[in-house]
Amino acid sequence: MWRAPLQGNSMAGLSLELIGLQLFAGLALGSVYVLLAIGLSLIFGMLTVVNFAHGAFFMLGAYVGLWLLSIGVNFWICLVAVPLIVGGFGLAVERVLIRPLYGRGIDYPLLLTFGLSYIIIELVRIVFGKSGYPVDTPALLQGAVDIGVGYFPLYRLFVMAVTGVILIGLWLFLERTSYGLIIRAGARDPQIVRVLGVNIARVWLMVFGLGCGIAGLGGLLAAPLQGVIPEMGGPILAEAFVVTVVGGMGSLLGAVLAGLLVGVVVSITSLFAPEMAKVAIFALMAVVLLIRPQGFFGRAGLMS
Amino acid sequence: MTYTVEKAAMTRLPKDGLMDMAYRHRVLLSAVFLLVFPLLVPFKALAVNILIYGLYALGFNLLFGYLGLLSFGHSALFGAGSYACGILLVHYGMPWWAGLLLGTVAGGAMAGIIGMFAIRTSGIYFAMVTLALSQCVYYIFYQATGLTGGENGLRGVNVSDISIFGLHLYFVDPVTRYYVVAACVILALFFLSRILASPFGAVIEATRENEARARASGYDVRRVRLVTFILSGGFCGLAGALQAIHLSIVPIETMHYETSGLVVMMALLGGMGTFFGPFIGAAVFLLLENVVSLWTVHWQLFVGAVFVLCVLFFPRGIWGSVLHWVKK
Amino acid sequence: MTVDADIILRTESVGKRFGGFTALRDITVDFRRGAITSIIGPNGAGKSTYFNLLSGAFPPSSGRVFFEGSDVTGTPQHRFAHMGIAKSFQITNVFPQLTTHENIRVAAQALQTCFDMWRPRAAMKQLSEVADDLLVLVGLDDRRDRIAGTLAHGEQRALEIGMALASRPRLLLLDEPTAGMSPEETRIMMDLIVKLASERTVILVEHKMKLVMGISDRLLVLHHGELLAEGTPDEIRSNELVKRVYLGKREH
Repeated sequence: MWRAPLQGNSMAGLSLELIGLQLFAGLALGSVYVLLAIGLSLIFGMLTVVNFAHGAFFMLGAYVGLWLLSIGVNFWICLVAVPLIVGGFGLAVERVLIRPLYGRGIDYPLLLTFGLSYIIIELVRIVFGKSGYPVDTPALLQGAVDIGVGYFPLYRLFVMAVTGVILIGLWLFLERTSYGLIIRAGARDPQIVRVLGVNIARVWLMVFGLGCGIAGLGGLLAAPLQGVIPEMGGPILAEAFVVTVVGGMGSLLGAVLAGLLVGVVVSITSLFAPEMAKVAIFALMAVVLLIRPQGFFGRAGLMS
Repeated sequence: MTYTVEKAAMTRLPKDGLMDMAYRHRVLLSAVFLLVFPLLVPFKALAVNILIYGLYALGFNLLFGYLGLLSFGHSALFGAGSYACGILLVHYGMPWWAGLLLGTVAGGAMAGIIGMFAIRTSGIYFAMVTLALSQCVYYIFYQATGLTGGENGLRGVNVSDISIFGLHLYFVDPVTRYYVVAACVILALFFLSRILASPFGAVIEATRENEARARASGYDVRRVRLVTFILSGGFCGLAGALQAIHLSIVPIETMHYETSGLVVMMALLGGMGTFFGPFIGAAVFLLLENVVSLWTVHWQLFVGAVFVLCVLFFPRGIWGSVLHWVKK
Repeated sequence: MTVDADIILRTESVGKRFGGFTALRDITVDFRRGAITSIIGPNGAGKSTYFNLLSGAFPPSSGRVFFEGSDVTGTPQHRFAHMGIAKSFQITNVFPQLTTHENIRVAAQALQTCFDMWRPRAAMKQLSEVADDLLVLVGLDDRRDRIAGTLAHGEQRALEIGMALASRPRLLLLDEPTAGMSPEETRIMMDLIVKLASERTVILVEHKMKLVMGISDRLLVLHHGELLAEGTPDEIRSNELVKRVYLGKREH
């Protein structure tokens, strides 16, 4: 209670506009979580592999972007090139390292990707150095726009918009293409896909590459917000795990909603009690685990 | 997932009487090895590190190797023991033995808290949830600067003299220090051996082998998991507490999730589900780190590569492969 | 409800839904103590779902289950063995890397202790003897020290029954005990079931109607998740509805 007067003071400074702006900031942060979590969820739903290198792919996306920008590549081209490069690396990883482990127990791919993340991080340290860099916001996206409750950084709106475009694209891909149909069927029951005579190995390869590519894009988008450093993938991986657990493993809708929710929770908590912002995410997960262990949209059976 | 090399010796009549005898006296053999071990290692401080991390890996192995539950949050258990011991010694002036004892309890208690949430999930979820919760514990300890020293770590965990039953030991002497720590580790090995040979040890094996069958046989699988997790936390807590008095400081990195990853690597390298494998894993890992760090700063690249190769081609680990080969 | 000592198990209008799919609808049955009751029906009739409700693998969506007069609806699975209900699974379910003897010993231990972590298990001689006796009963005494995963399919199924018996159940639930067995193994298993039924109540699920006609005291016929008929083998054999369901398949 000794803090009451101090809290009263800070409360007085909190206007509805500020909360509204913070809410938007939360959605922007949540967009980055969404980009990581949908990849994780997609890969898990299809391959039953938890990709512990997902944070490393995220970081790789940021560094590939940094490198491309430094050699004069246009930011807009980076938006396409980075996911392609990181996704391509993901394809190679699945083909060479993960594929031999199928059928050898669910923990092995997890352990392998964990070891892989060490390799990726150290390679980045070798190439780019140990210390981090700030990344400039692209000139066109600098400044702020009035969103009704106040001025909001344009770049963050852009991050939300790109995430929206990715989600719509992914949705169209899953709902409207034959590949998408196979992926949806495969996530429900891999046996069916095999019976249908589809080359499941190639579908798994594609899904892993796709998930890694989206994580790489997330890294690129996050770079101007937080800068780049080789260790940037670690904390965000833990947070992305929270998102997938809260949303329900293997559920894309769950990943999207939980990603945005987690972003908003962090952002709002940091307004009231900044030192608790990081802890709040995990408190949210703990509550969800107690009430609904399979997450918002997870199937109960998937847990065991 | 099964890493059951030694267990076969317990449940099957071994072809070979020597192996059987070695198995029955595993604590004694391990103790003898640990007693002569410092003669083989160039630096005594490194030997102490190997003991501490070996104990940490042993606690982890109880959960992953014997029960089959993969945790990526063991840094929180190790760290809880370390900080509990450090805080009690620094802030409350408690004696070293109380720090070790309560550090062990703190490891178990932290496991109980994390377990309450994490045990509601299983399989692959368990790894993710324990990682996330340990990250939460990291942030809490990072923030609580008054108690933990925050970013700078908790300094001043100094233990210089130790007296046991009237015997006065100078803890700063590296050889003395090694044997004090070794005594704790041998005691822990004895406890682990008792647990594995007990009825509960049989339940742990059965639960790993077939969860549904264990449940149908009348075992409350969820509680078996929680209790094993707490036991694992106790061993890791003791290891953490030993590290606190060994280093005289509790660095915040103790709680970092890389400390969780470290134990996964050591345990897999040594051999999952084997009694002595964790010590082999810790020894090989730390010795390699010492050697490789001499000619490159990029030790992590080497570690990652060794680990990936281990997962791909060598899942039994070093000690597991030795046992497998001897049995053939 | 009154407790009738002759009724060991009772399901009161139980039903089970999975999402939008109704697997089982409104089934009320009394199972008699000391009898062999077989649950039969064509594929997809809801036999396995019903079995899982009886054995507590999951709770019913509606209705209640009573064991010896007390309501056991929603009781966790691991309590069943302690109450006196044991089951074998449809898919062979043993501890594959433990020896045959240890499989049964661990199962028997559940009644005595779980969290005892100090006493050596070797000191619990009586459990080991129980396991040896059960090995003889299910005909696996010459396989005592084999690793369970290396046993033949029929032997593993027999082992599973031995494990079920280790909890000294008054009610034994068997889910397709002869699935995947050779005719010879099937015959041995059927003899074993009859032998076991002399001392306890047996309820079994079976796909092949012919197999259980000879040994059952009562039969339940499920069809499309509903109870189609109930009665003695003779009654079932002459039941028009049952004939239509089973014979009807040939007309298609």
